[in-house]
Amino acid sequence: MTMDILVLLKQVPVSTDIRMDENHNLIREGAALEMNIADASALELGLRLGTVTALSMGRPGCHAMLRDALARGADRGVLVTDPALGGADALATARALAAAVGALARPYDLILCGRRAIDGETGQVGPELAALLGLPVITNVSALALQGNALTLTRSVEAGIETLAAPLPCLVTLQEYTYPLRLPGILGLRRAKALPIEVLTAAQLDLPPQQLGLRGSPTRVKSVSTQAAGLRQTCWAPSVEAGCAHLRALWEVTP
Amino acid sequence: MFSDKAYKHAEACRFCWMCRHLCPVGLKTGKEVNTPRAKGLLISMEKRGFAFDRDTAQVMYECCLCGSCTNDCATGYEPPLFIREARTQIMVEGLAPKAVDGVVDKLAATGNMYGETAGKFSRLSDALAGLPGKAPVALYIGDVAAYRAPQMAKALISLLKKARVDFTVIKDEANAGTDLGDLMGFTQEAQEQGKKCAAQLNASGAETIVVLDPYNAVTFKHEYPQWGCALKAQVVTATAFVAQLLKEGKLVPQAKAAEVTYHDSARLARDLDEHQPARDILAACGVKLDEMFLNKRMAKCCGSSIFKAYAPELALLTAQGRWEDAQRTAAGIMTVACPESYEVLAAAIPQGWELTDVFSLLDARC
Repeated sequence: MTMDILVLLKQVPVSTDIRMDENHNLIREGAALEMNIADASALELGLRLGTVTALSMGRPGCHAMLRDALARGADRGVLVTDPALGGADALATARALAAAVGALARPYDLILCGRRAIDGETGQVGPELAALLGLPVITNVSALALQGNALTLTRSVEAGIETLAAPLPCLVTLQEYTYPLRLPGILGLRRAKALPIEVLTAAQLDLPPQQLGLRGSPTRVKSVSTQAAGLRQTCWAPSVEAGCAHLRALWEVTP
Repeated sequence: MFSDKAYKHAEACRFCWMCRHLCPVGLKTGKEVNTPRAKGLLISMEKRGFAFDRDTAQVMYECCLCGSCTNDCATGYEPPLFIREARTQIMVEGLAPKAVDGVVDKLAATGNMYGETAGKFSRLSDALAGLPGKAPVALYIGDVAAYRAPQMAKALISLLKKARVDFTVIKDEANAGTDLGDLMGFTQEAQEQGKKCAAQLNASGAETIVVLDPYNAVTFKHEYPQWGCALKAQVVTATAFVAQLLKEGKLVPQAKAAEVTYHDSARLARDLDEHQPARDILAACGVKLDEMFLNKRMAKCCGSSIFKAYAPELALLTAQGRWEDAQRTAAGIMTVACPESYEVLAAAIPQGWELTDVFSLLDARC
């Protein structure tokens, strides 16, 4: 069975380039951009399982990432882009993506995406999209096998790992580095040059304006701070006495 | 189709042009296009709509990817990163110089850049006789040592035998993928070749892979994990492995005086940040080391075997450039630890000078 797979990709700033403005919004100008690392796992898994449509929502510059996905073997690249979508939070993004899936009008067997993006780190878009589409969702997956018309998945949970079975269609979010993404080949790059990137605008999503972009985003970031609690508090102690003093000090400040 | 990272590195250039003092190609040709700054400018122009042509393509191949230019760059500019991507772009556009296409064809037909059809270890059959099929240590010799510097491989094998190392050499050793990576950038073609080689090395069951050619060692250590084919075994350069044997007293050389200089392989010294083991081997040989002006991380590249394969005239110039550095020392012997350095430098040995490698020097004293 050749599966028809939708892979969601997000273009994110290279982690070393991430900066924020005074309103806690990411500054994307001047940052090198790349495919989100967990999404790369989703793309590789999709390429191994069947024919892939790569779908992204973002600025027009996301064309380059989608073309890269085509060079690596994806069959179709679709970009949802429109100034009206700017400033979308996880929910508004999931709404737009759900509408885009509807606009593509194709009964995908499986939707794959990364478990979170390194810029926002919410991990919410995948599950919210699944809820909007009425699909089962399995998050934090590290391995997936197709058996008949169902999936066997391994996912990480607080206490370790668990193995689940899931029906198709469903949405799966992948962990980072689980499926190392193949490099593009010369023939793939030549093919990708000739393939179009399809563009969907806000008008084609058929959503009310109040559900789009910043207007449709209930999330407000009030403050961002660096947390000291939970950080590693180890040190090299030159003597037993110094080690004990360090432990005493930690004992006093640790809740 | 360049990555954002490549554009960022290309556009990071502040046009200070300090790289011209370090580029081994630009220093010899004197052409501005042979400086990393010019290559960065070309990529910046491409971003603004300038289409690559055959002249641009030629320029992108007039580089040994040695990374010397990164040494004195105030902006942290990494030309090898975008030059590799430019080569991928050139391959996609079908603009590669004929000589480059010729080397790619040889690799496809024979598995080595030389187009050699003789067995890879045909020059080493005596040295390899009697080695076990499996052992905890596997020696990866590489194409360059096997075909163009077999005396280095023989000396290393002899040293391992003298130190009673339980080792083997893998039969039908696969090409590491390093050459394709340099010729067309890090593409699926290089990755597939790497996967073949990794599967072979992993199947050997060896716990340690000793790598003679630093170019291959960089690929194993840095690229294979990125290509999804990390080796299970520990990867150790031949220089580090032999230096450790000396430290453990498993090799006891008889010191014999001589005055030598040592040429650091760019990939060993810069990419692997390894400078000392070769110098420890030379010290154990009892020779006096007279350092060249540009050494260790600052070492000037002499060219590489793949560079020589498609641009022999330029490789001759870069080799002559390094010999000129050597001639400014009082030594009469140039030593190397890299078979690629040996192959390139051997084409330009000045009168009155001798070229040898650290393994042969040590083997003669053990």
